[in-house]
Amino acid sequence: MSTGQRVPGRSLFPAFGLRLALWYAALFVGGSVLIVYMTYWLTAASLAQRDRDILQSTLGQYAAVYARGGLRALTDTVQAEQRAAPERLFVRIVDRGQEAIVLSQPEGWVFERLETASLRLTDGTLVQVGKSTAAREELLARFRAALGVVTLTVVIVALTGGFIVTRSAVGPIRRLTRAVARITSTGRIDERVALAGGGSGDAIDELTRLFNAMLDRIEGLVTAMRGALDNVSHDLRTPLTRLRGTAEMALVAEPDVDRYRDALADCVEESDRVLVMLNTLMDISEAESGAMRLRREPVSLGDVVSRAVDLYRDVAETKGIALTVHTGEDVVVAADGTRLEQVAANLIDNALKYTPAGGRVDVEVLGGGGRARLRVRDTGAGIRPEDLPHIWERLFRGDTSRTERGLGLGLSLVKAVVEAHGGTVEVESEPGRGSAFTVSLPA
Amino acid sequence: MRALIVEDDAVIAEFVARGLREAGFAVDVAGDGETGFQRARQQTYDVAIVDLMLPKRDGLAVIDQMRRHSIDTPVLILSARRSVDDRVKGLQAGGDDYLTKPFAFAELLARVQALVRRATRAPEPTTLTVGDLTLDLLSRRVMRGDTALDLQPREFTLLEYLMRNAGRVVSKTMIVSRVWEYSFDPQTNIVDVLVSRLREKIDRPFEKRLLHTVRGVGYVLREDP
Repeated sequence: MSTGQRVPGRSLFPAFGLRLALWYAALFVGGSVLIVYMTYWLTAASLAQRDRDILQSTLGQYAAVYARGGLRALTDTVQAEQRAAPERLFVRIVDRGQEAIVLSQPEGWVFERLETASLRLTDGTLVQVGKSTAAREELLARFRAALGVVTLTVVIVALTGGFIVTRSAVGPIRRLTRAVARITSTGRIDERVALAGGGSGDAIDELTRLFNAMLDRIEGLVTAMRGALDNVSHDLRTPLTRLRGTAEMALVAEPDVDRYRDALADCVEESDRVLVMLNTLMDISEAESGAMRLRREPVSLGDVVSRAVDLYRDVAETKGIALTVHTGEDVVVAADGTRLEQVAANLIDNALKYTPAGGRVDVEVLGGGGRARLRVRDTGAGIRPEDLPHIWERLFRGDTSRTERGLGLGLSLVKAVVEAHGGTVEVESEPGRGSAFTVSLPA
Repeated sequence: MRALIVEDDAVIAEFVARGLREAGFAVDVAGDGETGFQRARQQTYDVAIVDLMLPKRDGLAVIDQMRRHSIDTPVLILSARRSVDDRVKGLQAGGDDYLTKPFAFAELLARVQALVRRATRAPEPTTLTVGDLTLDLLSRRVMRGDTALDLQPREFTLLEYLMRNAGRVVSKTMIVSRVWEYSFDPQTNIVDVLVSRLREKIDRPFEKRLLHTVRGVGYVLREDP
């Protein structure tokens, strides 16, 4: 991984953050302006409506006065009102000859700034009343000023809010991006991303948690793979040294066809052993790391065990060991049949290897309790208590077993494959009396 | 019999070629996929052995192209990959058998001969004979000279396999997969045990030995001159 690689977080996120902030501000300001405009418009409209209502009611009143007392009474009323009313009105009464009879116009009033209403009376006389809009305009002007301040505040709040929202939304994403970029460029997979806000459970936290979980899984796999590689290279060194040594010894010795043949045969056998070892180590690593592809289907544990026992019947007979199998009722498990056979075969192989002539190896299949169990019991040498915790380790072989050939990988493979199936394997042993291995699988 | 080897590793190609020549094949070797395909077009072969990882054109493509050109030479695929998926892929591409590296030459030869036999459809014999040992496949009787031999079913299967491959070495792996139909290596030597039981019955009581161990390689049933 080159160190000069561009980290995308630097250039991408400010742009993204800015866009987010602008969007937020634009929406916020847009919404606020709409509300302010509507408030202003409604206020202005209702003020105008109030003025029109006043004018209409005044007109109605004048019409009634005119109907009762004629022009004279109306003129009196207008003049009386002009003196008494707190708010003065513009009044004009025009007769049919288009001549103003009464005109009451407060001083300084401009005709253009009047809200007017008119009514034609029954005899054709036109009454016109007007009200100055100056007061209203002034009120609205103040209102506009107030709204301007409000709008400015809103814009400031929106920008600040946008910035804060962006920071809190983009921050965790940016942290996540930085962590990913760091991990990609350094290859350090033990890094984790801190949860924002103490894990409040929002979407970003969820993403962070998932990302960390993914890192855990990757780290587990990578560690297992590294371990497997280390182990394989280490474990292969011994047989390769033997292989090389055998060939070298033959080459430097006195020429002798029989010796050559022996050496070559040794080399072939040794390389076969290397191959078996390599395959088994790969199987163990795959099973342990979770990379093993299991073809799970319902299989009868009894059938699997019977086949494995069958494989070793001749060996048991030759060694003088009684090999019995008791499958009882049919127990079906969802498992990879071939792998399970390998497990059973390895356990039986192991039992036969450490049981002397005249001994017994009993294989049993048990159901019940939601578990399927396979037990292989022998009357062999047993395992010393101090060795018990180590028997699952690769290449571990107890002292008593030095004479037996084998790779020391059988039990490791059993454990790895069983655990890959979600099962467990346990051992009980008494030195000198024998051992019992029990595989337990979810039924 | 003519065989084509398409393999870029010169050492492997050389030892397979030498082995096949000793077994009576005329052998041509191609070092890359392109040359391999050209050879297969110019000449009729009874069998082709094709490596999967090849320069210029990979093995699967070579096989695929052979099949497209109606060249139905049986193909044994060689591969360094041992997963079931790779095997399936190879067979789907038109390969007839699949052998994983590293392999015993004995096994390669047995598979090559099986492919040739299958292609030429030689009539199945009902009796197998090696020296004075005869095995009747129909009545399942085994005789050595005038003596009838009583074999267990598995011993019979092993003997039948050895007799079908008389004169050729069969490896332990081949025996395990043939007799027990197992695809993995059981660690204890179950093959040694079965072979020595069979030897007790067919060789021990008689003067001439027929079943020989070839150290490091396997077993062979043959009449020594």
